[in-house]
Amino acid sequence: MSYLTLDESLAMFRASAHQWSEREFYAPKPLIVKSTTRNKAAVSSLLIHAGVVMLMAFAGSLPPVRTAITSHFTVIAPNPGPYLAKQHRGGGGAGDRSPTPVSRGSLPQTAKRLFVPPMIRNNPDPKLVLDAGLLLPPDVPNIQSEQFGDPLAKAGIPSNGNGSGSGMGDGDGGGVGPGHGPGYGPGVHGGWRGGVYQPGGGVSVPSVRFKVDPDYSEEARKAKYQGTVLLSVIVDEQGTVRDVRVLRPLGLGLDQKAVEAVIQWKFRPGMKDGKPVAVQATIEVNFRLL
Amino acid sequence: MQTTLLSEVASPAEPISRGEIPDFDLLVHLHRPRIFRFILASLRDREAAENLTQDCFVRAYKARDQFRGASTIATWLMQIAANLVRTHESSRRLKFWRRSLQPAIDLADVREWIPDRQMSPEQMAAAKQQVEAIWKVAAHLSERQRTVFLLRFVEDMDVLEIVAVTGMKEGTVKTHLFRAVQSVRVALEKNS
Repeated sequence: MSYLTLDESLAMFRASAHQWSEREFYAPKPLIVKSTTRNKAAVSSLLIHAGVVMLMAFAGSLPPVRTAITSHFTVIAPNPGPYLAKQHRGGGGAGDRSPTPVSRGSLPQTAKRLFVPPMIRNNPDPKLVLDAGLLLPPDVPNIQSEQFGDPLAKAGIPSNGNGSGSGMGDGDGGGVGPGHGPGYGPGVHGGWRGGVYQPGGGVSVPSVRFKVDPDYSEEARKAKYQGTVLLSVIVDEQGTVRDVRVLRPLGLGLDQKAVEAVIQWKFRPGMKDGKPVAVQATIEVNFRLL
Repeated sequence: MQTTLLSEVASPAEPISRGEIPDFDLLVHLHRPRIFRFILASLRDREAAENLTQDCFVRAYKARDQFRGASTIATWLMQIAANLVRTHESSRRLKFWRRSLQPAIDLADVREWIPDRQMSPEQMAAAKQQVEAIWKVAAHLSERQRTVFLLRFVEDMDVLEIVAVTGMKEGTVKTHLFRAVQSVRVALEKNS
């Protein structure tokens, strides 16, 4: 049912092209922004959107959502208050700078106040006899003995050890053992076995010197899980973290991540009387997803 | 008619020597509709056609000293226009989403371009369909085939002029032309 030959059709096509272009050519030009600008706007809009989407996808796929968890953490300093006196845990140390190490012996009895540190007596006939003592918790067995010494040292010639001050051992201050102060063991001040201080009562709170943001665990990110892990740590004299315990767990692997991170932290140690001491601290690690 | 005007200006009898384009305003005035028509038919996008027409004359103005006088001004301008269309097409190929935005050809009153006004409404509808089919075919031709086809059937150029505009060999132009017409014929037969 074709009415037209190819030539006629082409002629009509020509006429239509001429008519169209003439109409467009003389048509009033709409006052619009140049199309190139519009194209540019469309392109840049598309690019920006794509960029934002990619950025979001990228950020979501990052193992640590670093910006998300800038780890709002708080080093809590619980105030042990009146219990502090009973919680002396440090050890003592002493000696009279003798060349031989401290000899074996038993600890003197526990005293609430230290008047005479345990020493190998070089004065055979003292004017005033006072029982030697150490500031120890009451549960340490009290052994009355003529021969004071470090229970952990080797037996040998009675010696006060090569520490300074009165007492026995390698430390200083009147005590027994390698520590400082009138106690026993490697710790500081009165007490028993290298103990740990609670902050407060003259012990300053350790402050963070270097910290590592914890990673988000895979499961937790998938579950969009957030929360806070409460950790109890001991910040030792060097400012490193040890004995990390989870006080309030969060689960989904975040506890482990928090411990892994906190263990790498470095602190300015807590101070007592101008000396760094091991301090118990509590750390909150917040996990937040953006 | 425009063609007579064009041939007057661009006739070889009035040779324009190198670097001497007497009145650029007049040249723009005379050639602009034609350049615009070619670009519009090629791209079927009014805004792009306006921009490219403008670009075409800007380029011509900048290069007016280099006009060798070897071809007519009409051919020279059409050459620039064809180049612009080609670069525009190749850049548009990357913008795939633009295709959906391409405006449909707005063919207005059928009566204006149907030679025989005694046609019945059915015949007119059929004619309109034919013309639309040709537009569709032209849109899907390759860039070279379409350029040749439009230069031949819209701009009424002969093969030698097309050779001058496109820079293709005569045989190549003829081949492209033949293939384009063949596509149109197939489409029209399918249509009817």
